[in-house]
Amino acid sequence: MRDFFRNNGAWILLIAVLLTAILSIFSALFGGLTDPLSNLWGVLTSPIRGISNSFVSWSEGVYNYSFRYEQLEKEKAALEKRVAELEVQTAEGNLAIQENQRLKDLLGLKERRPEFDFEAASVTSRTSSNWEALLTISKGSIHDIAPGDCVINEHGALIGIVTEVGINWSTVQTIVDVNTNLGGLVPRTDSTAIVEGDFSLMLEGRLKLTYLPEDTRLIAGDLVLTSGMNGTYPPGLIIGSIQELKMEPSGMTQYAILAPKADLDEVKQVFVIRDFQMVE
Amino acid sequence: MTKNAFLFKWFWYAMALLLVRAVEALVFDPFPLFGVRPMLLPLAAVAAAVLEGPVAGAGFGLGVGLLCSSAWVGEGPLLILSMTVIGALAGAAAQYGVKQGYIGCLLCSAGALAAIDLGRILPRLLNRVTTLVPMLKLAGTEILVSLLFVLPIYLLFRTVYSRVGGTRLM
Repeated sequence: MRDFFRNNGAWILLIAVLLTAILSIFSALFGGLTDPLSNLWGVLTSPIRGISNSFVSWSEGVYNYSFRYEQLEKEKAALEKRVAELEVQTAEGNLAIQENQRLKDLLGLKERRPEFDFEAASVTSRTSSNWEALLTISKGSIHDIAPGDCVINEHGALIGIVTEVGINWSTVQTIVDVNTNLGGLVPRTDSTAIVEGDFSLMLEGRLKLTYLPEDTRLIAGDLVLTSGMNGTYPPGLIIGSIQELKMEPSGMTQYAILAPKADLDEVKQVFVIRDFQMVE
Repeated sequence: MTKNAFLFKWFWYAMALLLVRAVEALVFDPFPLFGVRPMLLPLAAVAAAVLEGPVAGAGFGLGVGLLCSSAWVGEGPLLILSMTVIGALAGAAAQYGVKQGYIGCLLCSAGALAAIDLGRILPRLLNRVTTLVPMLKLAGTEILVSLLFVLPIYLLFRTVYSRVGGTRLM
């Protein structure tokens, strides 16, 4: 080990310690703002992420074509049925159905929720780690995105919360991430509870509804929305639906397992709610 | 060793590292294996360290740490120091303990991956994020799946080493 310190090993260790300390202090001081190194990397790799995202989409297409022929056949049949339905609606004069479905849904969402100020963004990468459920999106601080902003899909289903903001990119903590903790509302029973991530459920792409009121009678399929309590997050965003009810290990209280409404593995286009007004 | 030879050597190591990162990002991020994404970058740091020794291993580990903390979404800067130490220790182990070859690389990789996952488990355990069992289950799967890739990564870095490697970092 003496050779190690004689041959500049100590300098390398010192540089590593200094870099770690500087970046840790920066992260601690500036909360949701990303450290300069990650920010620079994010800016430099934004175009690469876009290209790699396209490549992955293309390879998924090839994979689907090659290995999921039977499934594609079924999907084709379902799509043909859907096309037929759309043609009927077209005959009825609903010309809007011929428009791009995603943009139409967004328009509908904007009409339904005029209190929201949206910013469209695309998903450029997903977490490489198995320990978090994060996404990177293509918009950042220059687009007025801030930590804590809600991210939804075109149908108004909650994807997650912005946790870190770079210049032209942001990190989104998806709702299945273990750090998720927000107020939930079951409109059928009008009961409020806490929606939170769970480590084991995160690996299955699901989450928990806890602190249920004692007299609540929930059933599978019940929709869960954001409650909007405290005004931190907007109310009425669809989080998911209840899949099953379970007892806590103590045997005293119940919790529900939720399946997110948004397809977090496949989502490509998202909308960040930069601002919202509470509607009484 | 001339400055040009030095730059030439580390240029090729950097290229090998970027290739590993590209495979990680383009193949395993979208298509996890057995439900987990293998950690390939630490394996690259260990492979270079086993072949080049502790000082070069620490230097290369520093570079891998910078790449990890920037490219792995959600990971903190502590990875810079962790990778530097992993590089130094793997290099020292190959020089003084385990054999400088595939088996040595496999043992050092297992140790490095276990250390990284221990660094993930401990804070979650202290913050009571979850219980130990599901985390151990994930860490075990992650380490075993990652270890499958020691051989190709070791061979890649061995190829670089046999052409341009074998001298001191500075």
